[in-house]
Amino acid sequence: MGGVVSYFKSFFGQKEIRILILGLDGAGKTTVLYRLQVGEVVTTIPTIGFNVETVTYKNNLKFQCWDLGGQASIRPYWRCYYANTDAIIYVVDSADRERMGISRQELVNMLEEEELRTAVIVVLANKQDLPQAMSVAEIHKALGLDALKNRTFQIFKVSALKGDGLEPVMEWLANAMQAAK
Amino acid sequence: MFHLLHGLYKRCTQKKEYFILILGLDNAGKTTLLEKAKTKFNPSYNSLNPQRITATVGLNIGKIDIGDVRLSFWDLGGQEELQALWDKYYSECHAIVYVVDASDRPRLDESKAAFASMIHNPHLDGIPLLLLANKQDVENPLRVNDVKSCLAEAGAPYIGRRECVALASSGLTGNGSDIPEINN
Repeated sequence: MGGVVSYFKSFFGQKEIRILILGLDGAGKTTVLYRLQVGEVVTTIPTIGFNVETVTYKNNLKFQCWDLGGQASIRPYWRCYYANTDAIIYVVDSADRERMGISRQELVNMLEEEELRTAVIVVLANKQDLPQAMSVAEIHKALGLDALKNRTFQIFKVSALKGDGLEPVMEWLANAMQAAK
Repeated sequence: MFHLLHGLYKRCTQKKEYFILILGLDNAGKTTLLEKAKTKFNPSYNSLNPQRITATVGLNIGKIDIGDVRLSFWDLGGQEELQALWDKYYSECHAIVYVVDASDRPRLDESKAAFASMIHNPHLDGIPLLLLANKQDVENPLRVNDVKSCLAEAGAPYIGRRECVALASSGLTGNGSDIPEINN
């Protein structure tokens, strides 16, 4: 019965797309999530566990966004959420040069997972409002993204705090999901 | 035993895979061309409206099967800052498609410079090259021969050491997007 309902629902483009928002602690994942959902900056505390919200894009696409805590001790639990993920939003703090290497390692580990083989990757170079923020090319190099030769990915410069650059992210995700269908 | 047979079967039916880089300045129409080619060769592909294609900052993948050959396209971002990343892909690619925006005369010199620095890379020695004068659907575009001679000048001694074809194309109307066949 549920299958029939979801079949008819698909005519109205109401399929929910499952997205994980991942990244190191302090990258700004929770701020990104609530920027996307309510369009405001909320005061956040370090996430232990997860936040989940549904973001509607142009009334016909629903993104179910999971924002998981990014502290080193709880990163091993990310994998519990990998199943059936359509896209990953990987948030990096563009001004945190020292931890770029750790961020890279976490990304590499994550992408080796079989369950994420088909997931689309979006890298958010967050905190572009800070003066010492790295450029897209620098982040590409630091994260070793040239090793990703068999999947589509896109890097976006954003500032979740200022709300800059998030609109194209949603648009690109919507397009990528349509192509992957 | 089963594994042996399975392995043999896999080996026999395995497709040869070739990697092809699509390069060119930003807004040359690389992603649109790739989308068009995907639509043309994969009947089941859900194509994107060209108007919704935005600037690539990253990588788009396109896989196209022709006969027993699989062509994997890597479509990279063309913005100046991103051109520094192209060389990361050179050592593993089997062919290059270089796209020039034939409607944009003022930026031809810029495209020429990007082309020159690409073609001089030693990793690309002898790698087949396809030059596309894209956007032939606009009024009064640059002709293939103009583009060809301009780029040939930029790549002077290097361009001759490989198979090289120049063609006119239009990513919007799809003319010329059946070109992948010339590779390999």
